Amino acid sequence: MTSIGTGYDLSNSVFSPDGRNFQVEYAVKAAENGATSVGMKFKDGIVLAVEKLVTSKLLVPGKNKKIQTIDRHVGCAYSGLMPDGRHLVNRGREEASSFKKTYATPIPLPALADRLGQYVQAHTLYNSVRPFGITAIVGGVDDDGAHLYMLEPSGTYWGYKGAATGKGRQSAKAELEKVISNKPELDAREAVKEAARIIYLAHEDNKEKDFELEMSWCSISETNGLHKAVPKDLLDEAIAFAKAENGDDSDSDDSSDESENEKDNEKKDAEGDVQLE
Amino acid sequence: MFRNNYDGDTVTFSPTGRLFQVEYALEAIKQGSVTVGVRSKKFAVLVALKRNADELSSYQKKIIKCDEHLGLSLAGLAPDGRVLSNFLRQQCNYSSLVYNRKLSLEKAGNLLSDKAQKNTQSYGGRPYGVGLLLAGYDNSGPHLLEFQPSGNTLELYGSAIGARSQGAKTYLERTLQDYLELDDADDLIRVAVEALRQCLKDEVLSTKNLSIAVVGQDKPFTILDDEAVSPYL
Amino acid sequence: MNHDPLQWGRPSDEHYGTYNKSIASASPYPSMHTQQPIVTGTSVISMKYKDGVIIAADRLGSYGSLLRFSDVERLFPVGRNTVVGISGDISDMQHLENLLDEMQTENNYDNEYAEDEEALKPSYVFEYLANVMYNRRSKMNPLWNALIVAGLEDGKPFLKYVNLLGVTYSAPSLATGFGAHLALPLLRKIVDSESDVKKTSAEDAEKSIKEAMKVLFYRDARSSRNYSIAIVDSKKGLVLNKDAVVEDMVWGFAKDIKGYGTQNV
Repeated sequence: MTSIGTGYDLSNSVFSPDGRNFQVEYAVKAAENGATSVGMKFKDGIVLAVEKLVTSKLLVPGKNKKIQTIDRHVGCAYSGLMPDGRHLVNRGREEASSFKKTYATPIPLPALADRLGQYVQAHTLYNSVRPFGITAIVGGVDDDGAHLYMLEPSGTYWGYKGAATGKGRQSAKAELEKVISNKPELDAREAVKEAARIIYLAHEDNKEKDFELEMSWCSISETNGLHKAVPKDLLDEAIAFAKAENGDDSDSDDSSDESENEKDNEKKDAEGDVQLE
Repeated sequence: MFRNNYDGDTVTFSPTGRLFQVEYALEAIKQGSVTVGVRSKKFAVLVALKRNADELSSYQKKIIKCDEHLGLSLAGLAPDGRVLSNFLRQQCNYSSLVYNRKLSLEKAGNLLSDKAQKNTQSYGGRPYGVGLLLAGYDNSGPHLLEFQPSGNTLELYGSAIGARSQGAKTYLERTLQDYLELDDADDLIRVAVEALRQCLKDEVLSTKNLSIAVVGQDKPFTILDDEAVSPYL
Repeated sequence: MNHDPLQWGRPSDEHYGTYNKSIASASPYPSMHTQQPIVTGTSVISMKYKDGVIIAADRLGSYGSLLRFSDVERLFPVGRNTVVGISGDISDMQHLENLLDEMQTENNYDNEYAEDEEALKPSYVFEYLANVMYNRRSKMNPLWNALIVAGLEDGKPFLKYVNLLGVTYSAPSLATGFGAHLALPLLRKIVDSESDVKKTSAEDAEKSIKEAMKVLFYRDARSSRNYSIAIVDSKKGLVLNKDAVVEDMVWGFAKDIKGYGTQNV
């Protein structure tokens, strides 16, 4: 970040002399600071998993869902500024709906990823807007089978077998690579468990904070091609598996020391960055 | 006071990916007087401390009803709060006129989030400078939501926003298991008022500066002011 | 004389007033409003019974008097508690089908309770459709249909009607089109008033609906033998049978009918 202070990083849509767009790079930082999100492809579908940091004891457990549905067959998880993620998903819904109106068929995932990529890219072109402060993982099932994409603040998107973003992305990616090369023929339920395990693993470096695991899936065999939340019993099973695999004997979901938690809250309030992740 | 070059507008990220203008908007909430929200399995309650500009002026309204089943309290810029409550009233009306359906709290929260997010991604405006507590009773029961100008809306059992609100939050965390099971609306109101007391410094709660609202099963959103709050003092 | 070359050949403002440019930039097409249905579906009939509702519609799409399409579905399930039956113009029906599809997709957006407390109810669906129908008629461009929304709401049968005029009403038995003349009196033998609903079993209601479909097939020249029948029952849920057929008919008299068609006796 040697170019900070030279002035080329103060406005969106401006190149620095060496051809960088700093505001986009800073937006990537916003995404990388967010809670971890993971997406994984398996035989006939995809699974999405997110780490939901519990910033207060007063939050209603199991509510405040982060994973969203773009169309019946498409799910989306993202890390970074959560309201930006909602913005992107709203756009995705418009695209999916307009596609269906025009062609009378659900939008294929490559088409959706492309349209969202264009929309995100457009937000790097003008100084009247800022880029999206998120990296989004978009996945689902269409006539050509399962697809998984990860979309960056620059508008770049790549197709993945396994994708991770947010704070714990490094360890999550390393683990995804192992799982996918060792067990290329995962079925839906195995994939759910592996994704859960990876979120728990990625949380290891951030252990002092409580979190909830939220997961969704979209598969031909299990959900009839629809994007749905992973049912409670399977989620519980996956969590038990993840905890056992990570050698985590303490119950991470409700093992916080009260006074420590309070202090934590105050500190965050002072920084004012609590709800920005 | 100036922290850096990256806090002049809402369309500039700092090198660490923060949006200072949005963070400052969150600070605006703390300039406002405190309001507390709490819910049980049957009711949701809002209480707020009203301020007056001087001895001769009236007290600033803190709680606004949006529909029979839904209302909100605010901390921060009151005019912004009114813009948002008007918006919610429109959305409630739209839902009942077009769909014969009560606007769910979840949907209300999402609509507010999306509206607020727009102000954080384009030049020429500013984020809203108000925090809201939404209380309502819909098909899935009572709910309490906290809205922030960043575009985040969270569902909680209890919450407090505004000046010195941390005291109420701590109190509500500590007594969570007790009030969650309360069957009686009056008892829940008392919890909320007690939580509000944790935030007082020089003020004394009176019929003039305390505002209460309650909503629940078979109980439309009702605001209590003036003499009506005296039983809870 | 105006010497501006751009004004040559134009009617002079002096004599004709300022030229109204909006005329020049008007759409080359006339504005078009629906004035008649083209391909049509005939009656939808329905009735309440003690644990739910039954609704039926045949599968024919008529092009005037030509029986043009023989396999058109006109009953649309919406969520788990509602069925919408549509008669009238088939393309407008397909438009309504898209709207209902969109309504369901949108109800699933960010809705944690989409499967239970915040699932779509018949009254939501009806209110929406009634608004669509009324708005279109107020633009003098109606969707040329009559619809019946049938379902279960809070454990009670729901049945309401709306048509191209935006008129709505409710009754324990309802029918659209020709069925309103021919089938409804038959249905009313079983459920005439709300108090009859409690006395009527699913079997009696289904028998009565099937009988009415038979009468309609006998006497309505734009009807088909194949029909769909849907039941929304508090215990069995929503069951849609798309392969119902009118049975036990007597056509022996037909050979004696004289004076119609191409016979040359």
